[in-house]
Amino acid sequence: MNKQTKVWLVLSIALSLLAISSSCGGTKTEGPAANTNGGGATAEKWTGGTGTISGVVSFNGTPPAPKKIDTAADPVCGQKNPNLMTDDTMVKDGKLANVFIYVKEGTVEGGKKIGDYTWDTPTTAVRLDQNGCHYAPHVLGVMVNQKISITNSDATQHNIHPTPKLNTEWNQTQPNGAPPIEKAFNRSEVLIPVKCNQHPWMKAYIGVLKHPLYAVSSDTGAYEIKGVPPGKYTVIAWREGQTPEEKPMEVTVAANGSAKADFSFGAAATSSIKPSLQMMPAIEFPMLGKH
Amino acid sequence: MNRGLNRFAILVACATFFLIIAGALVTSHDAGLATPDWPLSNGQFFPKMVGNLFWEHGHRMVATTVGMLTIVLLIYILAKEKRSWVRKLGVFALLAVIAQGLLGGLTVKMMLPLAVSSAHATLAQLFFCTTVSLAVFTSKSWIEARRLEEEQGRVPLRHLCTAALVTIFIQLIIGATLRHSATWDQHLPVELVLTHILGAVGVTMTLGSAALTVLRRHKGEKFLTRPATIALSLLLVQLFLGVAAYLTRLKSPGDPQPLNPMVGITVAHVACGALVFVSTIVLTLRTYRVLGGDFVGAALRGRPNRDFVRLGGGHGVPPLQ
Repeated sequence: MNKQTKVWLVLSIALSLLAISSSCGGTKTEGPAANTNGGGATAEKWTGGTGTISGVVSFNGTPPAPKKIDTAADPVCGQKNPNLMTDDTMVKDGKLANVFIYVKEGTVEGGKKIGDYTWDTPTTAVRLDQNGCHYAPHVLGVMVNQKISITNSDATQHNIHPTPKLNTEWNQTQPNGAPPIEKAFNRSEVLIPVKCNQHPWMKAYIGVLKHPLYAVSSDTGAYEIKGVPPGKYTVIAWREGQTPEEKPMEVTVAANGSAKADFSFGAAATSSIKPSLQMMPAIEFPMLGKH
Repeated sequence: MNRGLNRFAILVACATFFLIIAGALVTSHDAGLATPDWPLSNGQFFPKMVGNLFWEHGHRMVATTVGMLTIVLLIYILAKEKRSWVRKLGVFALLAVIAQGLLGGLTVKMMLPLAVSSAHATLAQLFFCTTVSLAVFTSKSWIEARRLEEEQGRVPLRHLCTAALVTIFIQLIIGATLRHSATWDQHLPVELVLTHILGAVGVTMTLGSAALTVLRRHKGEKFLTRPATIALSLLLVQLFLGVAAYLTRLKSPGDPQPLNPMVGITVAHVACGALVFVSTIVLTLRTYRVLGGDFVGAALRGRPNRDFVRLGGGHGVPPLQ
């Protein structure tokens, strides 16, 4: 092999190695997962009086218009739901639905952390239905180890595929007429995206927490979290998106009292300040161009 | 030369190209897990082909057909082909398609881990390369090709072509990794995109210089200039498709589902990449066939006496050097 040949070969190999070495390997960035309550050394149940956190979630500015979904690939979807539209931003009279609001952390009256307390896992399953080739509800919350009962109300086959970061991923087909699929997640995670590999437009989100202090905003933007022990908490409002948004707020709850916490998203997003509340700046996630 | 064998090899190569397109459609539609089981689809051989199951199970059906065709091709080769290295390549093709099937099953069972999915995509290209090589080796133009004089004092053309081939293969691996690193509703990792762009520059440089050198040094030799021209033309198309694929892919996270033109253009980019790869391998093999005196070239040309008796004799075929 002469000198020139060697030079060419070395240059080619070097260029190729340079290309490979700058690769990131396609690893996924971390999503908005959170182990929300750390768990104290000695867990006990709260037996004292409780209050509520309630409020309204608004959307400022003009919301993005829902997009029409092409259901041609499965005629059953088109027949049952001929005007199927995206439901990622459901705004009605300036109020935003499907925002997941939860108590992330805080201190209960008496000094213990909220994570030092335990709650019984409900025995009632939360239902997630596939109806009209659409998940209902779009956003739901469950407790760790609480059952989710997944049903198929369509005359077609669906495929349920949660993609958690901290829990075990699974993927299961559910034909029409099949019995409900019952699953549970054993680690807290906010929020787990759920997709249907048969119908790629179908999406849902499941928030899994160790406590029951969460709610999902309704069509009117209203939400209410009951059974909150008196104390000071960081409450998070989570909204889906290409990059999910989270808005935190400090809330103080009195025993047998109620605290108001309004959130807003959108073009000129703000959080409303009530006399007993303290504002915290919104957290931005610089994930442009990454996933 | 057996014309029937050559035609069948071409058929298998074409079917493999169709399979690569079918596989790319699965990825672009995010249909890889439309059925969680394998090798059956939802427990059936022939499930109802609706939704994304159409793409995934369709892909499996095409793959099964290609597998069957490869078995028939190997039987045909063993029956009609005397060159032992071609027979061995036929066995390799069968082993590769079996491995590819197993990788496909593994990636479904493991829920599409990046390494396995990328390996499945890469092996697909290698298998395509193998079937095309078999079509080349059984062709009349290969068997009847005449030795050419290599220009002295320059970089051997076959080495330039080999460098281009290796660069393209690495670029295919990067591209496969990039495609499987994010679904249609997620943005592609910036680092991988930049690496793939860098790889495109590398491919353009190496393949461009190899093809232009062929066109300059061996102007009248269609045996070499034809694949060189095809490879260069495909490279240009591929560069444009790459830009278009990136732009459409950039927009797809805002779409409600995988839509055209993103699906069509990304699939076309994969398919054109496969064609660039095989046209370069055809060019590379042919440069070894007619140029140079190294081991590989001699092996591809076969031992003169034995081959002349087998391939020449009475058909007016010029003797091999």
